Amino acid sequence: MGGNPIQFDYTVVATVLSFLLLVYLLGKYAWGPLMKVMEERRVNIESMLTQAENERQQADKIKREYQEEMRKARQEAQEVIAKATKVSEVRSAEILAAAHEESEKIKKSALVDIERERDRAIADVKAQVADLSVSVAEKIIRQKLDMKGQGKLIEQFIQEVGEMQ
Amino acid sequence: MIKEVHETVLWHLGDMTFHGKTLIMTWISMAAIMVFCFLGVRNLTSGKPGKMQNVLEWIIDFVRGIINDNMDYEKGRPLLSYLVTLFMFVFFSNMLGLIPNFTFNLLHDVHFAELGHIFATPGMMSPTADINVTFSLAMLTIILVVFLGIKHKGAHYFHHFIEPNPVFVIIHAIDLIAKPMTLAFRLFGNIFAGEILLGVILMLPGIWVLPGILPTTIWLAFSIFIGAIQSYVFVVLTTAYVSQAVTTDAH
Repeated sequence: MGGNPIQFDYTVVATVLSFLLLVYLLGKYAWGPLMKVMEERRVNIESMLTQAENERQQADKIKREYQEEMRKARQEAQEVIAKATKVSEVRSAEILAAAHEESEKIKKSALVDIERERDRAIADVKAQVADLSVSVAEKIIRQKLDMKGQGKLIEQFIQEVGEMQ
Repeated sequence: MIKEVHETVLWHLGDMTFHGKTLIMTWISMAAIMVFCFLGVRNLTSGKPGKMQNVLEWIIDFVRGIINDNMDYEKGRPLLSYLVTLFMFVFFSNMLGLIPNFTFNLLHDVHFAELGHIFATPGMMSPTADINVTFSLAMLTIILVVFLGIKHKGAHYFHHFIEPNPVFVIIHAIDLIAKPMTLAFRLFGNIFAGEILLGVILMLPGIWVLPGILPTTIWLAFSIFIGAIQSYVFVVLTTAYVSQAVTTDAH
């Protein structure tokens, strides 16, 4: 034997068997279950990631839908406003036109009235002028009558009264 | 000196002899690994792993990384369990030699299996400091290489022995023999030398014991480093050899 550390004997066989036993035992009771657990965790994480991805996509979809709806609503609101504006414009134009017409009518009737009044006034003036001239003529005639034929007239008048009785 | 550090204890079984101390130490490290793993898989959960489970998962991921670096992972996956065990075994074995002998001569008078002799040294012994152990691991590696080579390539596996010319069969044969030899002797040499030096430091006489504490500490730390590196190297080389054998000729 001496001091030579390199000696082969059946220890090799015993060690191989021992080591294979260790490999078997650990494989069965340690690495097997452990790797199964790790695999489970991997699958779990994977499914969680997939789920998260799905949810993200769903959220994205919902967000897009919301945006679309918002856009639509805004558009609609704008349309409504535009329509209202147009309607109000038309209406105001109508009102303006009606007012115009009305005023025109009123103006016309006022003109007619004025015309009439004026005619009447003229007629009045004419009548008054006629009255006035008559009364002036009367006065003149009476003055003349006083001076010349007063007596005759009185006579005539008395005669007339007598005839009536 | 060597003889004093590592006295070979022989067991006899019929005509067969066994290195008793090596086998005892092998079984001790196996037991330690099993306890370690038992602690890890005691409360297995796919949720939040406990500390020990985390350590084991880290080791598995580590070895898986080695396989991934060397070959197609699908081909290497059946090896994972073996390689993790190999890694753990070599590492624990390397560490075992650094642990002091805590039996305090209690077994001094036990003659069964010569336990008294086995536990007579100041420290434990690394099973990997015996060429028989490293040689068996290397043999398993090379058997695995040839076996997987045949499994993945069929008879075509032997074709690479005569490439590029039948004359090269000699070189390839040497290569095939050299692989386990270098594996075995590298590990053995590293660990054995480390233990010899540790033993020598521990044998410092009288007044040198106290100053010897510093070199012992340094050497222990370095041995831990060496032990870890060697277990890594052993697994990496095993993986590399297997990958050479199973990878379809891309080179």
